[in-house]
Amino acid sequence: MPAPPPSVGIKEAFREAIRTKSGLAGGIMLAALIAMVVIVPIMAPYSIVKRWGDGQQWLDNPRYAAPVWSEWFTSKELPESAIFEPNDFRKIRINTTQFNLTFVSLRRSFTYTADVFPSELAMWAWATYGTGSTPSVIVTWIRPDGQEVEILNEGPQVRAPTPNTYPFSSTGQMSRSAQAIYNWALSFNATSLAPANSTTPWLYVKPEVTLFAVAGESMLDFRRAEVLKGEYAIRVELLGFTPEDDLDAKFIVYGTIFGLAGTDNTRRDLLIGLLWGAPVALAFGVIASFVIVVIQAVLGAISGWYGGWMDEILQRMADFLLIIPLLPILIIIALFYEVGIVQILAVLIVLGFVGSTTKVIRSLVLQIREEQYIEAALSYGAGRVRILFKHIMPRIMPYTFALIALSVPAYIFLEASLSFLGLGDPVLPTWGSLIGNAYSDGALFHGYWWWIVMPAGGILFATVAFSLLGYAFDKVLNPRLREE
Amino acid sequence: MYATVIIANLGGRIDEYLKDQIRFDLNQRLRNDPAYRALSPENQTKVFNTRYNASLNARGLNEPFFQRTIRYTLEALTLQLGRAAKLTDTSGSPEVYDIIGERLPRTILLFTTASILSAAAGIWLGLVMARKSLSYFDRGMTVFSISTYVVPPWVYGIFFILVFAYSIRIFPPGGWVGVPAPPPGSLAYYGDILYHLLLPLMTVTLASFGQWSYTTRNLVMQIMDEDFVTAARARGLPERTVLYRYVLRAASPPIVTSLALTMIASWTGAIITETVFNWPGLGQLFWLAITQTDPPVIIGLTAIYAVLLVITVFILDLVYGLLDPRVKALRRG
Repeated sequence: MPAPPPSVGIKEAFREAIRTKSGLAGGIMLAALIAMVVIVPIMAPYSIVKRWGDGQQWLDNPRYAAPVWSEWFTSKELPESAIFEPNDFRKIRINTTQFNLTFVSLRRSFTYTADVFPSELAMWAWATYGTGSTPSVIVTWIRPDGQEVEILNEGPQVRAPTPNTYPFSSTGQMSRSAQAIYNWALSFNATSLAPANSTTPWLYVKPEVTLFAVAGESMLDFRRAEVLKGEYAIRVELLGFTPEDDLDAKFIVYGTIFGLAGTDNTRRDLLIGLLWGAPVALAFGVIASFVIVVIQAVLGAISGWYGGWMDEILQRMADFLLIIPLLPILIIIALFYEVGIVQILAVLIVLGFVGSTTKVIRSLVLQIREEQYIEAALSYGAGRVRILFKHIMPRIMPYTFALIALSVPAYIFLEASLSFLGLGDPVLPTWGSLIGNAYSDGALFHGYWWWIVMPAGGILFATVAFSLLGYAFDKVLNPRLREE
Repeated sequence: MYATVIIANLGGRIDEYLKDQIRFDLNQRLRNDPAYRALSPENQTKVFNTRYNASLNARGLNEPFFQRTIRYTLEALTLQLGRAAKLTDTSGSPEVYDIIGERLPRTILLFTTASILSAAAGIWLGLVMARKSLSYFDRGMTVFSISTYVVPPWVYGIFFILVFAYSIRIFPPGGWVGVPAPPPGSLAYYGDILYHLLLPLMTVTLASFGQWSYTTRNLVMQIMDEDFVTAARARGLPERTVLYRYVLRAASPPIVTSLALTMIASWTGAIITETVFNWPGLGQLFWLAITQTDPPVIIGLTAIYAVLLVITVFILDLVYGLLDPRVKALRRG
């Protein structure tokens, strides 16, 4: 005859658990997570996250940028993005009375001190012009060594308010600019990276390297080129044919570091994804674990208390559901039906309404059932349902809580696994989907460590918090909880 | 089993999908056929319908869904696994047996080896922890064990690939053999496989040994409180003998059970871990079968798994008799 489970109240169990070192540590970690959940909506409102997948929202951010603090680990100074809005340019606008010409000149100078080349260059230009002839837009790159390179000279394609976009770093798209830069570099006898028989050698130019490189033989080779530090300037000019012609420009020198968590392949600020990963993971893990464990516990208590055919049916169902592989089924369902995070949760609950908790609680109830106070309750005529809820449930509640804490990580990981495969919630960023995106984009190969390490760190942090708490509960309540 | 068949076919949705696909393929093929294009529209429809129905008949897709599921179930139960809809093995055979047969050894190599390693390490560690229970070593290892075993192996896998394959560059990031592979059968070939095996093996072992050490510790600590252990100690037996001869013997049935069940589970591989390491085993096959909608393969995998499960449970029953004298006594009584 095994000893009856110790009777501990929920409050006592909590107090005891928090008093142990692991419980305290787990509690503090959990509190930190919860604090994060509270802060997140303030720092990154839902309206931003809703547009997480919308590429237009993130255009100002560099691609594949490391977190700002990664600079501490290298002796080099890394560039942050320099964004020049229309207001940052010094603007001169002249109308000639004689031929009705308009001349607009925008100039912006900046100092570049980083030891590493920027990651990209891009410009947006808003041009206003009449219906007659198209004006020309000329962009000149002025370097600290006095060199001037005309990197653009063509008419705008669209009128303001739609901006003309000039992604200088996409040499395929901006091949005339690339050609201009290539030819300019050749005047310094630069060695091209292009194969000797290439008919379009300028496609191998990296404008963000060559324009920032010390002039000379190596300036076309991004592996050998050296950064030319000093004061640069961008001059954007428009020569128009009506008095109303006008021009505004925005120029971005994209850096290689960004924010606290860096960016991904679509320039998204990973910090927002990381922060939102916490409430999503916590909510999913805690709700799934709470609902499933409580349902299983109640059914386990019913199974143990009533016995008979009800017991038999519930236990056989538990055997069945324990043996079916959960992840493959979820994968199949998620793949063929558009499911959000709520539907996944629902499927989980349906597939987990009986399970290991049912078995644990049933064995506890079988012991409790023989105790004298239950016999006493029966003898004064208490109903079976009343005894179940009034006398048995309170006894198993602390165990239920321990099991809830212990099973939260499993559900967090289940969600992360699905998201990793790209089958999670289609809108919300989660830690799993961040890792999944990183993996499928070759972040491992390219060494974009921040994209993987930080979301994985988030998952591990949450897991360890709940494991510590569960372990503390376990120590208080054990000894035979984990038999199974 | 029947449930698997229904789920694998998603209650008929996959059939619709397959039919659509047949229709599309047929359309493509006929459109490129000059003889077909020369026909009048009515005749075109007629030819199309005849060929379409013939394709459906050939695949057995025109039976009612219920009948079909019964047939699938019976076939699966009798292990007639049939042909895959799309997947093939490397030599191009579409037989489900061939596909599974080709990949099973690789999965066994990885996951069964890892299970054995982690079980051995974990049980040994659990024993040490139980002996030094409540020491700092025990507490630290307990927290470590609990924290590691809830983390799925692919998370470690990604970390390890990042560190060992791309930062330190001492292991390949994935795959089964290098590209180009050494000639099959040569010593270098097996060496290459071993080299590719190490990183995933390390990963899976680390991910599962925590469970072994923690459960063994708890089990052993419970048994150490029992009367017969106290009696053995009272007789002055050395602690080692008590631990290995008495405690471990009593603890063996549950350990053997979980060992056997882990072995079985290990044969199905792990979907994400194998995908991450690009390990061409059954887990990856399952993922391929799901993403390319190949119900025969899914059903086949499940059928094999079920058979293995039944065999294991049967063998376990026999082994219990050997390990636990009480079971034997029960049988005689």
